[in-house]
Amino acid sequence: MSSLSENLFSALKGEYPEKIEIIENSNSVIVLDTVIFADVINKVKEYGFDFLVDITALEEERLSCVYHFLSLADHEMIGIKARLDDKLEIPSLSREWLSANVQEREVFDMFGIKFTGHPDLKRILCSENFIGHPLRKNYIVTSRR
Amino acid sequence: MEVNPGESKTVEQQIEKNIILTKLDDLLNYSRAHSFWPLTFGLACCALEMMAAGGARYDISRFGYEVFRASPRQADLMIVAGTITDKMAPVVKRIYEQMPEPKWVVAMGNCAISGGPFADSYNVVPGADTLLPVDVFIPGCPPRPEALFHGLLTLKEKIIHPKVVNKVE
Amino acid sequence: MENISKGLVYFLYVVAFVLLNIMYLIYLERKFSAFLQQRPGPNRVGPRGLMQTLVDVVKLFSKEDIIPEKADRWVFRLASLLVMVPALLVYVVLPFGKNMVIADLNLGLFYFLAVASLSSVFVLMAGWGSRNKFSLLGGMRVVAQVISYEIPMIFSLLGIVMLSGSLKMTEIVSAQSKVWFVFLQPVAFVIYFIAATAELNRGPFDLPEGEQEIIAGPFTEYSGIRYIMFYMAEYTHMIAVSALATTLFLGGPSGPVLPSWLWFILKTYFMILLFMLVRWTFPRIRLDHMMNFNWKYLIPISLANILLTGIGIQIFQLMKG
Repeated sequence: MSSLSENLFSALKGEYPEKIEIIENSNSVIVLDTVIFADVINKVKEYGFDFLVDITALEEERLSCVYHFLSLADHEMIGIKARLDDKLEIPSLSREWLSANVQEREVFDMFGIKFTGHPDLKRILCSENFIGHPLRKNYIVTSRR
Repeated sequence: MEVNPGESKTVEQQIEKNIILTKLDDLLNYSRAHSFWPLTFGLACCALEMMAAGGARYDISRFGYEVFRASPRQADLMIVAGTITDKMAPVVKRIYEQMPEPKWVVAMGNCAISGGPFADSYNVVPGADTLLPVDVFIPGCPPRPEALFHGLLTLKEKIIHPKVVNKVE
Repeated sequence: MENISKGLVYFLYVVAFVLLNIMYLIYLERKFSAFLQQRPGPNRVGPRGLMQTLVDVVKLFSKEDIIPEKADRWVFRLASLLVMVPALLVYVVLPFGKNMVIADLNLGLFYFLAVASLSSVFVLMAGWGSRNKFSLLGGMRVVAQVISYEIPMIFSLLGIVMLSGSLKMTEIVSAQSKVWFVFLQPVAFVIYFIAATAELNRGPFDLPEGEQEIIAGPFTEYSGIRYIMFYMAEYTHMIAVSALATTLFLGGPSGPVLPSWLWFILKTYFMILLFMLVRWTFPRIRLDHMMNFNWKYLIPISLANILLTGIGIQIFQLMKG
């Protein structure tokens, strides 16, 4: 682990001891409650991680939203995994990082996670009258042949 | 010569004695078969094999088919090269309808034939022939440029001898 | 009555000459580009692929004719009908050989340049009448390019007029009996070549009709016979411009052993091959770079060429007399 991400993670752990979990031997952190998500992102930006690499989502027992940030000055990359509750809502990053616009539309299309504050959240890969969210584990694929 | 609809032979068989018409048909079929103008309609990986076929090593221009036109109004062959997704399907249909007659469709690659490796996917149309009337199917994932040439030459044979093809049905 | 029949014969001659050359040139372009790219080119249809153009033309004649529903029907149809007219009219003043000019006007060069620039009107009509945003944008770009590059073309030819003292084609040809003007005016030749390539919408200047940019530009909605009229008009114009270059820079139909019309054809084909070589070698030029190049570099250089030609003529006259 390198110093910038170490500093960031220790600061985050210090501030929210129960709601943050650091994954060992990796540059990633799990945010257990979406209430503090906006603060976490502000801190990430403060520490110099100014490039948003990717937004995607993951389904283990529940859905979580995964973000990767890169610091262009120090060449370090960190990951943030935000666990979502049943409401499946999380604040959108499209105001600060313009690339988050299309990425959040893709995550909405595939998983159904709603990003509050997004200017135009609609489907991007599936057709408009598609029903369901394909990459969820409870989506049943019917054969069309 | 007179064509008598009451006779037992079909109209076509009666006209066959009229040499000039059949020779004109043959000439038109020959010309159409030797100079397709394909529409640039590469959707996925098969498009790269189509581009390689147009390059210098495999050279589609030997057969006269190298004039790829981007506007559907000027093209007469639509090579569906790649996967058709649900979002792209109405676009494919629309562009096919904008092409002037006579026109042909070649389904290149497994995805265009039946959906290919993505056949049971939530977003992939299982084959171009659910949307358009396909004339030649070229299997492969992706088919080599030589396979594309074989498909185009098969289409050429189909156009030059339409009676043989229609007899099969 | 005699004039009318003579006119008809000349008309048929020009049309036959142009059509035969276009048939061969379409084939030549494909074979020459194949040669430059180290591949065979069309070689299946007919001996060595010579019938390829014929087959293409017959196929295009038998295509369905589509006019878009909301298009302006009269403008749409007239554009494709009339686009060949200015391209064919300029052949009247070209010297095909010794004493082989159809109409040796006193204003030959002026007539050529004035009529040739009419073709941009018909391309704009095509772009407007199709009622398609790509066509309109393509038509506007064609007009902008053609009228911008008219200016350095005309300025570069002014040096020739100053050297020969007349606008009449035969007098320009006879003024080159000692030395060809390409050696006396090399800068003007290069400027004329670049401006002519831009006028023809060919080669590195084909942004208005490049398919990666704008589908087919102003000709997007045209199919079958209507499309081939535009295609043929471009080649007709190319032959005319090459013929003008041979008349003005390469000494026209004159040369030692062979008959004069053969020299004319050989020199014209040399110019045409040069146009094709430039097309298949250089990448496409962006629209703003093209305009920049014209207004900031070509026009000042051609004006400087006129100035230097004038000074040179004065010095030559002072040295002689």
